[in-house]
Amino acid sequence: MSSMAEASGLLALDTATQVSSVAVISGRKLAAELTVQGRLTHSETLVPHIRQVLQMAGLKKEQLTGIAVSQGPGSFTGLRIGLAAAKAMAYALGLPLVGVPTPAVLACQCPVPGLRLVTLLDAQKGNVYVQSFRWARTQEQGEEGWSVEGLHLHPLHEVQVAPLKETVKACGAAGEPVLLLGDVVQKKIVGRLELPDNVSCAPRHLVMPRAACVAQLGLSLLAAGRAANVMDFEPLYVRRSEAEVLWEKRHPEQIGIEEPDCVLKSGGGEDGHE
Amino acid sequence: MDKQANEEILTLGIESSCDETSAAVLRGGREILADVISTQIPVHQRFGGVVPEIASRKHIVNIMPVVDEALRVAGVKLQDIGQVAVTYGPGLVGALLVGVSAAKALAFSLDVPLIGVNHLEGHIFANFLADKALEPPFMALVVSGGHTSLVDVRGYNEFRLLGQTRDDAAGEAFDKIARVMGLPYPGGPRIDALAKEGDPLAIDFPRALDEKGNYEFSFSGLKSAVLNYINSEKMKGRELRHADIAASFQHAVIEVLVHKACEAAAEAGRDTLVLAGGVAANSGLEARLRREAAARGLRFMFPSPVLCTDNAAMIACRGYYQGAAGKFSDLCLNAVPGLGLTDSSLAH
Repeated sequence: MSSMAEASGLLALDTATQVSSVAVISGRKLAAELTVQGRLTHSETLVPHIRQVLQMAGLKKEQLTGIAVSQGPGSFTGLRIGLAAAKAMAYALGLPLVGVPTPAVLACQCPVPGLRLVTLLDAQKGNVYVQSFRWARTQEQGEEGWSVEGLHLHPLHEVQVAPLKETVKACGAAGEPVLLLGDVVQKKIVGRLELPDNVSCAPRHLVMPRAACVAQLGLSLLAAGRAANVMDFEPLYVRRSEAEVLWEKRHPEQIGIEEPDCVLKSGGGEDGHE
Repeated sequence: MDKQANEEILTLGIESSCDETSAAVLRGGREILADVISTQIPVHQRFGGVVPEIASRKHIVNIMPVVDEALRVAGVKLQDIGQVAVTYGPGLVGALLVGVSAAKALAFSLDVPLIGVNHLEGHIFANFLADKALEPPFMALVVSGGHTSLVDVRGYNEFRLLGQTRDDAAGEAFDKIARVMGLPYPGGPRIDALAKEGDPLAIDFPRALDEKGNYEFSFSGLKSAVLNYINSEKMKGRELRHADIAASFQHAVIEVLVHKACEAAAEAGRDTLVLAGGVAANSGLEARLRREAAARGLRFMFPSPVLCTDNAAMIACRGYYQGAAGKFSDLCLNAVPGLGLTDSSLAH
């Protein structure tokens, strides 16, 4: 497998929102990207788009050296379609796989210091997954974050689940310009919510996640040797399923007790009955 | 592909329609090299039924390990796989999508054909794995959690649907009644076990649509009758005779299934009757069908318990016969949660 210096071909996918996006970085270039927000489902379009983007980039899948996928949070089903495809391709082609958190993918769209980027992804029922970022020219020692072409992207807090209206209102007290990014901006904010004076919305060409950004951040994860294990890689859900939350409310005494897991069994063909 | 190669082709099967993640490797149409199943039953037990979101979360974690384990057990390399068959419906949409998405990416990566398989047809084809000499035509009774159907299997790719349930499937009635009786999930096997200790004639529950020549089923009336009986006994302050209720309910279901299946086989002139689907593991149904079929001179068969449950070997088998007929899917294949059985229903 070639090293990062040769940089070769990285395939990147993002199906965390209504946008389906596939990109290929070849060498130093973003060779091709296909970003669609259409009527077809991710399930129908994703693998055909992967084939198409590789064709457009003039790259054979055997020439790929890694796969990066947007890991969430976001639409549970969308994330699983993307991850299932990414895992299966990484497994079949023997490629390293990296997962890029979707909020960082959004923040990567706007590498401008001096601005607070607040990413808002739909968490349903009036809630959002919120994470704020800032770009800087320097990196403090020990600071978490991402490096892109001499700039550094710093998360200001962990991903939280919060009510949308309160979150937007709280941005008014940031004391600096705030740019909102993410599917919630398009679906629930533009034309619907009044924004504080220091807050604005990213325009349509920046507001949704794009695979080019997944690829960009994926490169640094690959370079850092932070490949995921395809055998147990899963989305960053942030939230548990509603059934589990409800069950714990009803059975507080059971919290902390180890949950039962799946059981593996194997079948053969010689044991039919007649 | 020449014929010789085709008969020896390795099919990778993938199944994730409900609460089992499964991968299998089949050589040709009948030889199972591996059939690996990761069952989530213990995970869903405490919720009293399958929770779709939790099922999907388990599938995405387990999908690559079951494929990897199937290849290891089969002793073959992924690159030796000649085609990929995957369940695209019916089932839980989020669960199906994990298998479909992985299968498409595998087929694309390996440059091999993709075959979308109807899960219910897969259940019928489990019988070809159970008996390598079995060939169409035969009559199939499909009884699973969500489906009850009678299918005249005229050829590997030619079916005629004689009738199916108008409302609840037999499996649904089993699960609902088990829940009301306070039996843990999954309810079917519990009722089957309990029924052995009870009197099947203790309570006379109704049978619907039992006129001759009608091959449709209806179990909602029976389900309501059992629930009403349980409620009225409770109201009267009587202790519930669980074993008798289970036995009488199961008897009513089985009588309808057995009667219609044997009638249909006779009318179509078939000499073989096969049982398919998850409820095929019900010992009462199997025993009764065996007796009735023997009395009518019909050959009766059903798959082993592991082939009755949701498994990828049956999907690979169905896929093999579709592929042999040149019926492949393209990479746009989507999950179809409400997919049914229809006449000559081929994937595409």
